[in-house]
Amino acid sequence: MKELFPAKQVLGFGFSLLLTVIALAVYFLDMSFAAGMTILLVTAFIQAGVQLTVFMHAGETEDKGSIYTNVYYGLIIALVTIFGTLLAMVWDM
Amino acid sequence: MEFFERFAVPHPSIAIYASMVAIGLTMVAIVAGLTYFKKWGYLWREWLTTVDHKRIGIMYLISALIMLFRGGVDAIMMRAQLSAPENTLLDAQHYNEIFTTHGVVMIIFMAMPFIFAMMNIVIPLQIGARDVAFPRLNALSFWLFFMGAMLFNISFVVGGSPDAGWTSYFPLAGNELSTSVGTNYYMIAIQISGIGSLMTGINMITTILKMRAPGMTLMKMPMFTWSSFIANVIIVFAFPVLTIALALGTMDRLFGTQFFTIDNGGMDMLWANLFWVWGHPEVYILILPAFGIYSEVISTFSRKNLYGYKSMVASMVIISLMSFLVWAHHFFTMGQGALTNSIFSITTMAIAVPTGVKIFNWLLTMYKGKIEITTPMLYSLLFIPLFTLGGVTGVMLAMSAADYQYHNTMFLVAHFHNVIIPGVVFAMLAGLTYYWPKMFGFMLNERIGKWTAWLLSIGFLLAFMPMYITGLDGQARRMYTYSESTGFGPLNMVSFVGAIIMAIGFVLIVYNVYYSVRYASRDISADPWDARTLEWATHNPVPEYNFAVLPEVKSSEALWDAKKKGHVLFKGEYEEIHMPNNSGAPFIMSIIFFVLGFSLIFSLWIPAIISIIGVFAFMTHRSFEQDHGHHISVKEIEETETKMRGAK
Amino acid sequence: MKIDHSLPLEYSTEQNKLNILGFWIFLGAEIMLFATLFATYFTLYNRTGNGPTGAEIFEITPVLFETFLLLTSSFTIGLGIHAMRLGRQKAMISFFVITLLLGLGFLGFEVFEFFTYVHEGAGIQTSAFTSILLTTLGTHGAHVTLGLFWGLFIVLQVRKRGLTPQTANKSFIFSLYWHFLDVVWIFIFSFIYLKGMM
Repeated sequence: MKELFPAKQVLGFGFSLLLTVIALAVYFLDMSFAAGMTILLVTAFIQAGVQLTVFMHAGETEDKGSIYTNVYYGLIIALVTIFGTLLAMVWDM
Repeated sequence: MEFFERFAVPHPSIAIYASMVAIGLTMVAIVAGLTYFKKWGYLWREWLTTVDHKRIGIMYLISALIMLFRGGVDAIMMRAQLSAPENTLLDAQHYNEIFTTHGVVMIIFMAMPFIFAMMNIVIPLQIGARDVAFPRLNALSFWLFFMGAMLFNISFVVGGSPDAGWTSYFPLAGNELSTSVGTNYYMIAIQISGIGSLMTGINMITTILKMRAPGMTLMKMPMFTWSSFIANVIIVFAFPVLTIALALGTMDRLFGTQFFTIDNGGMDMLWANLFWVWGHPEVYILILPAFGIYSEVISTFSRKNLYGYKSMVASMVIISLMSFLVWAHHFFTMGQGALTNSIFSITTMAIAVPTGVKIFNWLLTMYKGKIEITTPMLYSLLFIPLFTLGGVTGVMLAMSAADYQYHNTMFLVAHFHNVIIPGVVFAMLAGLTYYWPKMFGFMLNERIGKWTAWLLSIGFLLAFMPMYITGLDGQARRMYTYSESTGFGPLNMVSFVGAIIMAIGFVLIVYNVYYSVRYASRDISADPWDARTLEWATHNPVPEYNFAVLPEVKSSEALWDAKKKGHVLFKGEYEEIHMPNNSGAPFIMSIIFFVLGFSLIFSLWIPAIISIIGVFAFMTHRSFEQDHGHHISVKEIEETETKMRGAK
Repeated sequence: MKIDHSLPLEYSTEQNKLNILGFWIFLGAEIMLFATLFATYFTLYNRTGNGPTGAEIFEITPVLFETFLLLTSSFTIGLGIHAMRLGRQKAMISFFVITLLLGLGFLGFEVFEFFTYVHEGAGIQTSAFTSILLTTLGTHGAHVTLGLFWGLFIVLQVRKRGLTPQTANKSFIFSLYWHFLDVVWIFIFSFIYLKGMM
């Protein structure tokens, strides 16, 4: 029975729950916009990283170079698209 | 009868009525011909259900050439209308419809399938593989493209053509200002086709990463494969943006959402932003495989290794990332501040640098080489100065402050045709000529080919150089006429003459095909150009399984090494080859997508829902399907090889 | 078909490896799909026209339930894949079924959430903000819905055909999809809901 609940997955789950609870602080506590955004960004990206490496086994095979490159590329272009859009359409309009 | 009124064209003309008749007659002729010659079975078995990358490539090619004709007719009509001031050949509405369909057809339904044709035909052969990673998905990619193209192409005779430009900006593209279904066609047909493109991106990347012949490391891949790999990476990350943009546009038009509306918080300019986040990478999707073709052709016909392999690769990797950093240069004048414009100006000018590196590498490849001017090489030689000219006008446009003068004038029109025609179109024609023997087992005629290249170049210069001047003089784009007092008349007439010369050039391509089918010798070798890469190490035309024995490679010029240095490519005995089965599912599923698209365009909700269920039914079937392909026996391989005169 | 017994079943044939890599690339595309929705959301979320703002309609309780359900389902499917690698077919199916039920629960809450919004005057046609909010949540929800059907088909296939290289491959790829949907939810949870309720 115990073999069905490997430590890595259980700890990953627990850590994700913890990160979620920390993120909730921005709702339950008073804080500046900057502080709140920082907490959200940090917890979200860490939790995404946990999903990627622990649950999705991204680094497990001979293709891990391609997989990680793919994810980083996607991430960079996603961020460029989001921030470039905000810059052109909202902040500098 | 009222139900059928929605399919009427809101702004008909004699030409449109004539087209309706022509389309109807053509469809009847095709059905009659297939029936009379009893070719339905052949069509279904060999083409409609194929999953063979070579066949799929040929279908993309035929589609691209047909669409080239359609887009070209649009172009001739525009040039004719503008050839004289206050001309009455086309009224404003028709002119708008024609420049819209010209743009969409040429970019989405001509250039894209042309590069997909080249990729499909060449990549598996160039890397020494038997097919792509996902042959069934490949077929679906083609048929989705085809159905998207068919849907778009009937717009002008059923319901009305889109008329808001190939960029379809809101609020013009919204329901209030574009009341016909034309813009629905735009949103939905391109969406369907785009899904196919995304699938190709995934397919080709996986193929190139995982299915290369033993010994072919990434840095030993031929340059066409490298350039296509990078282009497909761009496809994977750019097309989803278009998917969302088109979906949001569709929802605004069909479901009353407020993304790009003028009130209730909508932001019309957001459409332009999202469109170009896709749109700029799109032009690099088009040009990189073109550059790849040039790399192959130039090194083959200079009898020299491509100069600067590493910098060629590095420049394309840089271009792939930077192509996502420049998009706002398409709307410098839209109202954002100087900070934004400055940033995008700098990134835009910077992206010219890696492109310049490539031009120098091609020149250095030719330097001290043994140049043979074949048709493909002629296109490449013409490309270099013509494209460079277009590129430098791009740097002019990149300066945002200066762009306030050039934006949306004919100067801009001249620039982008100046990079696309010598850049993409010439490359595709060079590729077509170069790979024709690989596809069909005979050569296209050299003399006609060279006449075509010269006519297209001279026609291109006459058509587009005047536009730089009239643009600087103030002639706006997308304007159906101009008054005599502007003085734009004489140069526009020159453009028209240039367009006619180009048209003659394109007709010559058709003639070349006919002439070569009729007269060209079928007795050619596997390697008629004395080339350097693996695709020339198998027969012309290529057998179903590509290579009887999979090759082993030692350098980036695998065939050249085999010919000149005695490296043995094919070691070992024949073994049974496992190939995927044909399937009718991609074709039929795409027809359902056509019906879905058509239903949404005309707001026919019941057929739309039924079609969606149909799509999911096919996906469900695919999930449960167990198809183990078929085997080609050793005996059959031996027979085929002997027949093709390549017996071991 | 050559099976490499030194690798987990889902990677054990050439086609299996291609399928998994191909699906990762697809997820790269999906990152961009959702990134575009987010870019649009961040641009339009203040543009509420005559309609409500996020702070006015978001409620923490259903959002917490949705988050907990989806996160747990991501955990259970991870356990399912682990069971699969141990060859424990029954356990794997059980974990997969629990995953799908949790996903169904998530959807139930989300449907209830949408109904509430519409009742409160925040429909998809109300304003730019509501349009993009419901489209983003709806796109994610549609992906979950598709996943429920796909997951069900896989459970049926594993039950009928057992753990073969093909069924293992499909199960693993489905798990990648399911985990990805949780990753997207993390960002929805953080940057749409929590940020909107700060």
